[in-house]
Amino acid sequence: MMDVGRHPNITLYSYSEVDALTGFVGNFHITIRRKARYVVESECTACNDCVEVCPVVVPDEYQQGFSSRKAIYIPFPQAVPSAYVLNMEECLGNNPIACGKCAEACEKKCIDYDMQDELINIEVGVVIVATGMEVYDPTELDEFGYTRHENVVTSMEFERLICAGGPTEGHFLRPTDRETPKTIGFIQCVGSRSENRGNPYCSNICCMNTVKDTLLLRDHYPDIEAKVFYIDIRAFGKGFEDLYKRSREGGVKYIRGIPGEIEENPETKNLLLTVENTTTGQLEKHELQMVVLSLGLVPRHDGDLLKRFLTLSNTVDGFLMECHPKLKPVDAPTRGVFFAGCVEAPKDIKDSVTQAGAAAARASILLNAGKVKVEAITSRIIEEKCNYCGICARVCPYHAIMEPDRKAKKAPVVIQAACAGCGTCAAECPQDAIEMRHYRDEQYLAQIEALMAERPHEHIVTFACNWCSYPGGDDAGTARLQYPTSCRLIRTMCSGRVDEDFVMHAFRLGAPIVLVSGCHFSDCHYIDAVQWTQKRVERMWNKLERLGIRPERLQLDWISAADGQKFARVMRELEEMLKTVTMEEIKHTMEVLSNGKAEKKATAAKKAKVKKKTPTKKAKVE
Amino acid sequence: MPEAKFKCLRCGHEYTGSYTPGTPQELTCPKCRSNSVRRLPEKKPAQKD
Amino acid sequence: MTDEMKKPDDLRIGVFVCDCGLNIAGTVDCRAVAEYAETLDDVVAVVRNKYTCADPGQNEIKRAIEEHNLNRVVVASCTPKIHEPTFRNCVAEAGLNPYLFEMVNIREHCSWVHQREKEKATEKAKDLIRSGVARARFLEPQIEEEVPVTKAALVIGGGIAGIQAALDLADAGHKVYLVEKEPSIGGIMAAIDKTYPTMDCSI
Repeated sequence: MMDVGRHPNITLYSYSEVDALTGFVGNFHITIRRKARYVVESECTACNDCVEVCPVVVPDEYQQGFSSRKAIYIPFPQAVPSAYVLNMEECLGNNPIACGKCAEACEKKCIDYDMQDELINIEVGVVIVATGMEVYDPTELDEFGYTRHENVVTSMEFERLICAGGPTEGHFLRPTDRETPKTIGFIQCVGSRSENRGNPYCSNICCMNTVKDTLLLRDHYPDIEAKVFYIDIRAFGKGFEDLYKRSREGGVKYIRGIPGEIEENPETKNLLLTVENTTTGQLEKHELQMVVLSLGLVPRHDGDLLKRFLTLSNTVDGFLMECHPKLKPVDAPTRGVFFAGCVEAPKDIKDSVTQAGAAAARASILLNAGKVKVEAITSRIIEEKCNYCGICARVCPYHAIMEPDRKAKKAPVVIQAACAGCGTCAAECPQDAIEMRHYRDEQYLAQIEALMAERPHEHIVTFACNWCSYPGGDDAGTARLQYPTSCRLIRTMCSGRVDEDFVMHAFRLGAPIVLVSGCHFSDCHYIDAVQWTQKRVERMWNKLERLGIRPERLQLDWISAADGQKFARVMRELEEMLKTVTMEEIKHTMEVLSNGKAEKKATAAKKAKVKKKTPTKKAKVE
Repeated sequence: MPEAKFKCLRCGHEYTGSYTPGTPQELTCPKCRSNSVRRLPEKKPAQKD
Repeated sequence: MTDEMKKPDDLRIGVFVCDCGLNIAGTVDCRAVAEYAETLDDVVAVVRNKYTCADPGQNEIKRAIEEHNLNRVVVASCTPKIHEPTFRNCVAEAGLNPYLFEMVNIREHCSWVHQREKEKATEKAKDLIRSGVARARFLEPQIEEEVPVTKAALVIGGGIAGIQAALDLADAGHKVYLVEKEPSIGGIMAAIDKTYPTMDCSI
């Protein structure tokens, strides 16, 4: 930690957050908000004079609330930077009349009540996301009585109670009577591996953390009797099994079964655990003086903004999704962005360090190369078709299209470097005046025609986006989930690319069912392009209905990249729907849509409605 | 938030729910978990069924 | 719409059907699929490989490009998520613009999910290749823009992972900005007493 503070190549912004982040690989623009610390970091010598005079006493979050700190404080003795911070919400007021004792006491005069947040703009080529995780809050698991029984503590609290730098200076005491307990129980998988409450995944670190805790206890207090209640002990890493064996041999009792209930003896404050020992099948009762809940890890609750900035998405467990689970485990799907540590999945210190090294190496490749090629899939305005309506500029999630000038007959301009290639503009353009490089309209129409060339009535034309639903289909394949063969898939970069023309063309050529699929709203790789998909599909449902075509035949699903289960389920469900579409119905649709008049009438009916709502003049071209 | 009638175009389930006008949202059928949920036009709720 | 479509006149498309060992060939009749591909318009060469992504498979692509003067390449194998970059590089090495390559997924989206329906899976593979070839007809060479990379890194989060990543990058000579939300770096690790497996101090 000290090395970071003094490294000449590192600028450390502590007590700071990313306020805004734009740009793309090689060219990220970041605004960092440096929160007011009210102490001049560079001047502070950590002399402690201010702390001594501060009259405000609050629980110390570093010590898990077991001890207290002042409103001006240093988080912990080894903190980097080694400077105090004043919590203004706790401070008696930045009015020196109210208090102002610390400013008075400070010899260096580095306390500044008027300090403001500072915004700093930086430019970088790569971003490493290492925002970590949070620890599970066991409050909802009422059977363990964490909020009711004082002697039930969490594994994080245990760390402070056993630590020489902790509130008890390393004397391990239980909260109620401040005596060293003679018996202690550890409950594993709290918040992990449960389908009902908490999370279904294994949090990776908690088994070994408990093994470590029992060894620490044995070293300091050989007389404490420790019991561990578990589902499985997962000691899979190098040297882990050895530690586990040492723990068992040291007399720690491992009992397979998670207690169903913890009751407190109101007099002794001892805890009575009821557990079904799944090895013997017996119901057991254990009286213990203290219980430690071995907490799992959960994704950060405040990561959404950053996800938006970097267009990242989650796997089903809520941790960030990597580019490829085996081949690119530290790369984000967004180029130039890498993951390190628990933000990607729960992991221990060794794995975090390993991944951080890998992320740094991957990032170095780009930094050393000094340049990067951008995929040639951006959008292009066909000026002669453009009627200057400006819809494209309004729908672009990246604001990469400059508004047209209707009077000057100046077509909109696409800023190539900012365009990510989602194709929403091309799909929304009423004039078909936008072409996506490498993913042009005629290519999609040709694909649809090819798929509909034989037995069209047997096929479900499926549009799947490159980032979620297509890999969701891959996931179904990798897991060998079997589903009916009727699906005929067409890949689009984003579901926002799926033009109304594509869907109508498929129906015109005899498709019984069309499925549009993309990322969940929170996962959209093109910021919010997916909302245009939703709007457009809703519009198409209305249009189909006006044409006398069952809207049910156009289906919509959001399928995440890790959700092969859903992909297969949707395919099975659509197969059932397919059976309900009769040949007469398909023929009728084909006739209606081939007869340009009917379609135009339906469109005109809609336009008339729109016209009523918005008095904007429609271009004469129509 | 105004309320509207929604219909799942997968399983046919109809239900009433709230929505934010002008902001498209991810809709999931409470019965079959499909996202093919259509907000029925307000004018003719009585026409169907 | 159809009459508006413009496609190059002189199309010479090569289709490469991958067995992927038995991953594809175990379900899909790859021979029948390859024979079918030969009947498609503009297709002038069809090659079947055991593993198209392996060196011998890639060499076959390069040889066919030269021998048949191919100007479009379609590989029917696995998901483009894995090997699209591989094959783009391969055709580029043979002198073709990498954007004249198209990939058809007959493994994850076909053979692996229809293991009990061999005939129908074979028909589906044919359809998908027909669609891929249709798309390939309209492929155009593209030039990728090269953008400079700003020589600095942002590390968000100053826990053990962020600290390590920042130090590694800084030691490699790169400028690093490390942003930490809390008043001190250290993260959750700093609140832990001893750490496994070495049982030493965390800070």
